[in-house]
Amino acid sequence: MKNLTQKILSISALAGLLICTSSCVEDLLEQEPTTELGANAFWKTEADATFALQGAYSSVRPLFDRDYYFSGHGEFIRTRGTSATNNNLQRGDAYHGGDYNPVGYGDNFDKYYRYLYGGVNRTNYVIENVNKMLATASPSSRENLEAIIGEARLLRGMVYFRLISMWGDVPYIGQVVYDNAEVADIARTPMAQVKDSIMADFTYAYEKLPVKAPVVGRAAKPAALAFRGKLQLYWASWNRFGWPELTTFKPSATEADAAYAGAAEDFRKVINDFGLTLYRNGEPGEIDALGQAEKLPNYYYLFTPLANGDPEMIMTFTHGGIGTNQGEELMRDVSGRSHEGSQAWVTPRYEIADRYQSTITGDFVEPLVPMNPATAGARTKPNSAVNPQSYANRDYRMKSSIMWDYEKSVGMISLQPTGWVPFIYKTYNQPITIDGVKYTTYNTDGTNSGYVLRKFLRNYAGQGRSDGNYNFPVMRLADVFLMYAEATNAINGPQADAIALVNKIRHRGNLPPLDPEDVAGKDAFFDAIEQERIVELLGEGHRGFDLRRWRALERVWGAPYSDGKWRIDTHGANQQRYFQNSSERIYEQAYIFRIPPGERDRNPNLTQNTPWL
Amino acid sequence: MTRYAMIGVFFQCLFVGLLTAATLKAQEKSIENIYLSADLRNVGLEDAFVKIVEMTDLNFQYDQKLVASKKLNQNFRNESLGQVLRAISRETGLSFRRINETIYVAQSAGKKEMVSELVIPTKTLLPVQLAARENQGLPVPFRARTISEQTENKFQLLAIAVSGKVTGEDGVGIPGVSIVEKGTTNGTNTDVEGQFQINVTNQSSVLVFSGIGYLTQEVEVGARTTLDVSMKTDIKSLEEVVVVGYGTQKKVNMTGAVSAVNIDEKITSRALTNVSSGLSGLVPGLAVTQGTGMAGRNNASLIIRGLGTVNNASPLVVVDGMPDVDINRLNMNDIESISVLKDATSASVYGSRAANGVILITTKSGRGQEKATINYTGSYAVTTPTRAYDFMADYPRALTIHQRAAAVNNLRSNYFFKDGTIDQWMALGMIDPLRYPNTDWWDIIMRNGAIQNHNLSASGGGDKSNFFISVGMMDEKGLQINNDYSRYNARFNYDYKIRPNINTGVKFQGNWSNFSYALEDGFTDDNGSNTAGFDMQYAIAGITPYDPVTGYYGGVMAYNEDPQAYNPYTLYINNLTRRNRQEANTMMYLDWSPIKGLTARVDYGLNYYNQFSWNANMPNRSYNFQTNSFGSRVYVGDNAGVSNATNTGYKTLLNGRLSYNTTIAQNHEINVLGVYSEEFWSDRYQFTSRNDRLHPTLREVDAALTDIQSTGGNSSTEGLRSFIGRLNYTAFDKYLFEANFRVDGSSKFLPGSQYGFFPSVATGWRFTEESFLQPYTSRWLTNGKIRASYGALGNNSGVGRYQQQETLAASNYMLGGSIVKGFVNEKMVNRDLSWETTTVFNLGLDLGFLNNRLTTEIDFYDRLTTGMNRPSDMSIHLTGAYDAPRRNIGNLRNRGIEGNFTWRDTYGELKYIVSLNASYNATKLEKWNEFLGKGWVFLNMPYHFLYTYEDAGIAQTWEDIFNATPQGASPGDILRKDLNGDGRITGEDRKAYPGIQRDRPTTLFALNTNFSWRGFDVGILFQGATGRKDYWLNIYNNINIGNQRYASGWGQWNNPWSVENRDGAWPRLNGSGNREESTFWLDDLSYVRLKNVQLGYAVPKVLLRKIGLSNVRIFASSENLATFTKFRGLDPEKDGNRSDAYPLNKSYSLGLNIGI
Repeated sequence: MKNLTQKILSISALAGLLICTSSCVEDLLEQEPTTELGANAFWKTEADATFALQGAYSSVRPLFDRDYYFSGHGEFIRTRGTSATNNNLQRGDAYHGGDYNPVGYGDNFDKYYRYLYGGVNRTNYVIENVNKMLATASPSSRENLEAIIGEARLLRGMVYFRLISMWGDVPYIGQVVYDNAEVADIARTPMAQVKDSIMADFTYAYEKLPVKAPVVGRAAKPAALAFRGKLQLYWASWNRFGWPELTTFKPSATEADAAYAGAAEDFRKVINDFGLTLYRNGEPGEIDALGQAEKLPNYYYLFTPLANGDPEMIMTFTHGGIGTNQGEELMRDVSGRSHEGSQAWVTPRYEIADRYQSTITGDFVEPLVPMNPATAGARTKPNSAVNPQSYANRDYRMKSSIMWDYEKSVGMISLQPTGWVPFIYKTYNQPITIDGVKYTTYNTDGTNSGYVLRKFLRNYAGQGRSDGNYNFPVMRLADVFLMYAEATNAINGPQADAIALVNKIRHRGNLPPLDPEDVAGKDAFFDAIEQERIVELLGEGHRGFDLRRWRALERVWGAPYSDGKWRIDTHGANQQRYFQNSSERIYEQAYIFRIPPGERDRNPNLTQNTPWL
Repeated sequence: MTRYAMIGVFFQCLFVGLLTAATLKAQEKSIENIYLSADLRNVGLEDAFVKIVEMTDLNFQYDQKLVASKKLNQNFRNESLGQVLRAISRETGLSFRRINETIYVAQSAGKKEMVSELVIPTKTLLPVQLAARENQGLPVPFRARTISEQTENKFQLLAIAVSGKVTGEDGVGIPGVSIVEKGTTNGTNTDVEGQFQINVTNQSSVLVFSGIGYLTQEVEVGARTTLDVSMKTDIKSLEEVVVVGYGTQKKVNMTGAVSAVNIDEKITSRALTNVSSGLSGLVPGLAVTQGTGMAGRNNASLIIRGLGTVNNASPLVVVDGMPDVDINRLNMNDIESISVLKDATSASVYGSRAANGVILITTKSGRGQEKATINYTGSYAVTTPTRAYDFMADYPRALTIHQRAAAVNNLRSNYFFKDGTIDQWMALGMIDPLRYPNTDWWDIIMRNGAIQNHNLSASGGGDKSNFFISVGMMDEKGLQINNDYSRYNARFNYDYKIRPNINTGVKFQGNWSNFSYALEDGFTDDNGSNTAGFDMQYAIAGITPYDPVTGYYGGVMAYNEDPQAYNPYTLYINNLTRRNRQEANTMMYLDWSPIKGLTARVDYGLNYYNQFSWNANMPNRSYNFQTNSFGSRVYVGDNAGVSNATNTGYKTLLNGRLSYNTTIAQNHEINVLGVYSEEFWSDRYQFTSRNDRLHPTLREVDAALTDIQSTGGNSSTEGLRSFIGRLNYTAFDKYLFEANFRVDGSSKFLPGSQYGFFPSVATGWRFTEESFLQPYTSRWLTNGKIRASYGALGNNSGVGRYQQQETLAASNYMLGGSIVKGFVNEKMVNRDLSWETTTVFNLGLDLGFLNNRLTTEIDFYDRLTTGMNRPSDMSIHLTGAYDAPRRNIGNLRNRGIEGNFTWRDTYGELKYIVSLNASYNATKLEKWNEFLGKGWVFLNMPYHFLYTYEDAGIAQTWEDIFNATPQGASPGDILRKDLNGDGRITGEDRKAYPGIQRDRPTTLFALNTNFSWRGFDVGILFQGATGRKDYWLNIYNNINIGNQRYASGWGQWNNPWSVENRDGAWPRLNGSGNREESTFWLDDLSYVRLKNVQLGYAVPKVLLRKIGLSNVRIFASSENLATFTKFRGLDPEKDGNRSDAYPLNKSYSLGLNIGI
C-alpha cells in the first residue's frame, strides 16, 4: 500500500510538471505580428501624421494615375484594353474591367466607384485623426498638421469631384466609418450639397497649404486653387448645358454664371499669383526631320520623367522606378512589343492627325487621304496618309504625341536599347533598310489606326514596362490656361488675356497665334479652345469628361438614330463605327454612369440614375 | 506473417502482461506465476504429471511412448511451474507447450530445454460462435475438464494413428494449432512445420482443429491415416484494433464512424506517387479527387463527407500523433494503417482541428517481430495520359480557320492572313520543315512519363525493444518535359522498455524532394499576375520549337502572324522553377504505468521544414528562320537574373496525457483519458532576386550584378492550447458508451473569443450479444451493432494568423524621387469573431453475416456547420478601403449516407474479397446572415449549385432566329431560352438545379475486388462518381478565336456550324453569345474508372527457403486503365481551372518485393 501511495504521489508530481511546462509558455495565445504595425503604436507623433498622409497619397494615386484610359471615351484615342492588374490597386485595379470605348461604358465602373470610396475612407482616416491631434498639438506643429489635413482634404475633394462628375448624386461620407452598419443603408446626397463639401475641402486646402510644396509629390496652394476652379467650371457647365439624366439636378443660368466667374477667378490666381510657367517656358524647342527622333520638341519631354517637379505640373501623382513597386505603366500601355514587350493598349485614332495644324499657316491643313501602301504611289502622293511628307510642318505636338509610318523611337529589350525602331503600320517586326541603314520595324498588335503614341514613351532604355517613374499630371498649367479661357469666354466672350494664354499654348507647338476669326466671338473662341484642349491634352483623360459636361456627344457622333461615325485607319479600312442607329437611351447612358447595382441590391435607399433603371 | 497473426501476437503479449497483476483463475495464470513444491525424486514422469495436475488445475497431453520409462530425480521447493517444467525438459529432453489448461508434451528437437506457453483469457478465447456451441452442449477446446475425466481418458485405448499437416491458405504450415478429438480431452498440437500426429479411438472420431486467428474446423477421420487440413483465416475472431485519437480501440467496441485502411502490398504495389491518391475508392465518404497528373503536384484533394465549410474543408492529417503532417510526403511503405475519423465522437479529441474529419496515420514498428526481416519493394511504371488534346499540327489549315472566322465580320481584303501565305506554307511545309513548320506541339512538349519506387526496410523486435527503419525513393518523370519530381524518405522508429512499466520511443522521419516545373499547373498558370499563363492557346503550329543547328528557338514567321504567338518548348526548357524541400519530423514519448491501469505519457514532437526555390532562366529570343533574324518576342532577356525564395519553419507539439482503465465487477470496463496539449507554429519566408547574371550558366544570387535587386521577407507564428478528455464505458461487452470533449484556445482570435468547447457523446449496442436475441440471430448474424453519436467540432482555418489584430498596413509613396513610409488602416476588426462549429450526428449499423463472410457498415450522418467564419458582406462604400471583417455568418448542412459491403470467402483454393462502398452527400446552405446576390450560392441550395441558361440548340435558319427571343443571334449561333418570358435574355433566365453541384460529385462509389489462388493474386478497383455537372468551356475549344495566333485543334476544323456543316457539334466560328454558360456546353461529369488492376505472383515459400528468402512477390499493376464518361473534356475528375491541360496519368508498372 505504501508503494501505491508513493506511485500516486509521483504521478501527481508528473502531472504538476506538465502543467508547469504549459504555464511556462504563458503567451502561447498572444502572438504578435512581425510586419504589420500595431494600431496602438501609431498616432503618437507628428511624423505619424505625415506617414498617414503619405499612405493616403498612395491610396488616392491609383484612382487618378491611369486617367489616360478615360481618353478612350473621346474620339481621338482608342483604349482597346488596359494593363491594369486585377485585385492589385497599385497596379490599376480601380481601372480594371472598365470599358473605355466611346459608347456603352456607363455600366462598367462599379469597381472604380468602389475604389473612389476607398479613397474617401483613406483620406477621412487622416483628416479625422490629425484633427484629433490638432486638439492637443503644440503651436509649433499646428501649421504642419493643418497642412497635412489640407492635403488630405484636397485629395478627398478630388475623389468626390470625380464621383459627382460621373455619377451625379453620390453618398457623402465625411468621417471615419467604424462599422458597416453606418453606411449599409446610406442614401445619395444631392450633387449640389456634395459640391459644397468639396468646395469646403478645396478652400481649406487652399488656405492651409504652403505656397510651394516642400518636396516634389506633395500639393501646394495652386493645386487646391486649380481644382477649386475646375470644380466650379464643371458646376458651371452642368448648370449651363444641363444634365437631364440626373433628374434631381435643376440647372440654373445664374448659378452657371457665378460658377464661371468663380472658376475664372481661381484660375486667374493660379496663373498670376505663384509665378508658374509652362515647361521650358512654353518654348517649342527643337524638332528633327521627318523619320528622325534625335531631337524632339519640348512638349515631348513634358511627358517624360524630365518634367517631374516642373512648375507646370500643378498636381501630379508620383511614381518610383525599378525596385519601388510604385512604377507607372505608361510605356506598357502606349507602345508596342519592341519596347520591353509593351502592349499598346492605348493608341491614337486616325482622326487625330488632321487636328494638328500647320506651323506655317496656323490653320488646319487639307485632310489626309487614307491610302493602302500597296497602291502605286501611295507613299509619295501628296496628302496621302502613308506618305511621311504629308506630316511635314505640323504642330510640334504632333511629332511629340504620335508616330506615323517611318517615325522612329528607341527600341528596348531587357533594359537595353536596341537602336532606332521605325514604325510602319502593319509591317511589324520586319527587317527594313532605310537610307542604307538596316532596321527592324516597330512591332505591335495594338493599333488599328496607323498610328501609335510617342507621348508618354521614354526615349531611353533602362526601365521595364512596369517600372516607369513619371509623375502623372492630374492638373497642369496648360489645362488651367485653357480652362481659364473657357470660363472667361463663357461669361464675356474672348478676352485678351485669355487669347494670349491660348496663344502661349499654341506657341509650344510652334504654331502662330490664333487668327482673328478664331477669336471673333464666343463660339469661335470656344472652338479654338476645344481644338487646343484636344491637341494639348491628348491622351490625358480629359476628352470624355469635356464632351459630357458640354453635352457634345451628339455633336461629335451624330444625333440619335443616325449613321454614327466610323473610325478608320491610314489605309482607308473602316475599323469601328460608334453610335450607329443608337437610341436616345444609349446617349443618356453615356452621359451618366450607373450606380453599382450590387450595392443597390443590398441597400434599397441607394437610388439609380434614370437611364440605368 | 499476416496482419492478423501479428495482432494476435501483440495481444498475447498484452494479456500476459495483464495476468501478472490480477488474481485470475489458475487456467489463466502464467506458468511462471504458479508455484508449487513437489518431491519428484525417483518418480516416474507420468506420475509427476499427475502430481502437477493435482496441484495446478492444468492437464497434460502426451504420447505415452514418450513418457514411458522416464524417471525424474529432483526436489522442487516453491518453484514456479515454469521452472519445474524447464527442469524436467532439461532432464528428459521433452518440450512443453502450455496452451491454456493443457500442457502439450513433445519430443524436444535438438535436446534443448523448451518450455513455452500461450494463455488466452476465456473472454477472448470464446468468440461468439464458440459460446453458442457450448450452449448446445458441444465440447469446447481448451475448456477445463475435471481431473477425473483426465485420468479416465488417459488410459483409453487409442486405436488409430492419424498424422498430417495443417496449413494456412498460403499453403504454409501453421505451428501451434490445437487438434482435439471431439468429445474427449485427447489432443495434440502442430509442430513448427504444421505437422501433427494423434491417435484416435475409431474411424468415426471427429478431430477439431482450432488455432488463433483461424476458423475452427471439424474433420471426421474416416478411413484416412493422413489428414491435411487447410485452415481458414477467421476475419473477426481476433479483436481487430483500430487506431483512434490518442490511443486504440477494439473495433467491436467502437461507437464512432471510423474507417480503417491497412496498408498492405495491394496498395504499396501500385504505381502511386503519394498517399492521398492511393486512398481513392477505399473509404466510403472520403472523396479523393485527382486534379492533375503533374509530377510533384498530383496529390489528390481529400474531402470527408461533403464540403463541410466554405473555408478550408480539408481533413486534419495526424501522423503518429503529430497533426499537420503533409500526407503526400510520407512513404506509403512506412505506413501500417490509416484510420479515417468521420464523425464527431471519433474526431472530437481533435476538437478545433477536426471539423472536416481526421486522417490518422500510424507508421510501422517492429513490435512482436521476433525474427528481424529485411524487405525490398521496387517498381517501375510507364505513364501515358488518360486523354489529351486533339491539336491540329497543320498550320496552313489553322490559318484557313482564321480566315473562316474573319469572314464573319470582315471584308476579304481585311483578312489578316492572305491566301498566298497559306498556299506557300502548304507547299513548302512539305519540303522545308524548318522554315515552314507544322509543329505538333503536344508531341514536342509531352513525353511518356515514368514512376520509380524503391523501398528498403528492416524491422524487428524483442521483449524490450523494437525498431523499424526504412529508406525509400520515388522518382517521377511527368508527362510534360522537364516536369520532374523525386522524393526520398528515411524513417527510424524505435521503442524501448526501460522498466516493465516504463516505455519510451522515438519516431524520426526525414524526407527531401526535388521538383522542377515550368508553369504552376504545368501547361498553364491561372495566377493573374502571370499574363502568359494561358498562352498555350497561342502555340501555333507554324513555329519551329528549336533548331539544333543554329541553337535558336523559333518564333512566328508567317506574314501578319502575331509576333506574340507562343513557343511552349522554349519556356519548358529555359524557364524552369526548381524547388527542393527538406523535412525532419521527430516525435518522442515516454510512458509510465505506476499502478495497474494508470498510464501517464508525455509526447514531444518537432516538425521542421526548409524549402528553397530558384529560377535562373536562360536567355533566348524568338528566331525567324525565313528571314534569318530575331523576332520581336524575347522569351528571356539577356539581363536574365536569378531569384531565390526560402520558406522555413517548424511546428512543435507537447502532449501530456493520463489514462486509466479498469474493469469493475468483471463486466464493466472503463477507460478515462485526459490530455493537455500545446501546439506552436512558426513560419518564415525570404525572397531575393537580382537581374543580370554574370553568365547564363551561373545560378546563385552572388553571380549577378547588384544594380537591380529585390528582396522580401516575413514571418508569422501561431499557438494553440487544448484540453482534452475522453470516457469510454463498456458494459457486458455489449453496451457501449463514450463521451469526449476538447477545449481549444487559438492565438488567431482575440482574448475573450479564443476558447472553443467541443463535446461529443456516443453510444452503441451490440445486440447480437444479447442472449434473448441470439436464438433468432445466431444462425445467420454473427455480429451486429448499432451506434449513434452526436457532438461538436471546431474550425478556425478561415482566419489569418494576425487578421484579428488591429494593425496598419504599409502603403508607401514616392516623394522627391525617394520612397517614403506610408501607413493605411485596412482593417475593421470584428472583435467577437470566434470558432466555426460543426455538429455531427451519426447513426451507424455494423453487421456481420454468415460467420462474417459478409460484413456491412452503414452510416447516416447529419453535419451542420454553424457560424461559418466568412468575410462579412460590406458596403461598396467601404470595400475599396477595408478588408471585410470576418464574421460568423452562415450555416451549411451536409446530410449523407454511406455504406461498405464486403464479402470474403474461399472457394477451394480460391480466396476472394469483393468490397463495395458507396456514399451520397447532399450539401445545403441553410442560413446566411447577409445579402446573397444571384449566383451559384443561395439558401437551401448546395454550395456552388448549377444555375444555368437553357439552350434551344443551334439556330439553323433566320426563321429560327425570328422565332426565338431576340438575342443578337444569327444562324449558327446557340439560342438561349427566355425562361421568364420577358422577351429578353438576361441573367433572370437562368434556372437553378438544387440537386446538381458544379464543383464536386454528390455520390461516390467504388468496387474493390481481390482474388488469390495459390501464389497468384488479382486485384481490381473500380471507382466512380456522379452528381456533378459543369461546363465544357476552355481555351482549347474556343470558337470565338482571335484574328491571329490561335492554336486550333481538330475540333475547330471539324465541329463549327456552317452552311455546309449544319450538323456541326459546335456553333459557328466567331458568332454571338456562343460561349455563354448554357446547357449547350454543360456536361455530366459522372464517370466510372478502372482505377487499378493488379496481378501478383508470390513464389512458393518452400522454394524460397532454400535460397534463404522468406518472401518474393512479383507484380504488374496499371492505374486509370479505362475511364467511362460522357464528359467531352480532358478528365471528369479534374477540378479547378478548366483550361488546365495537364492530363491524368495512366500507368503500367512492374515490380518486385523481396523479404529476407
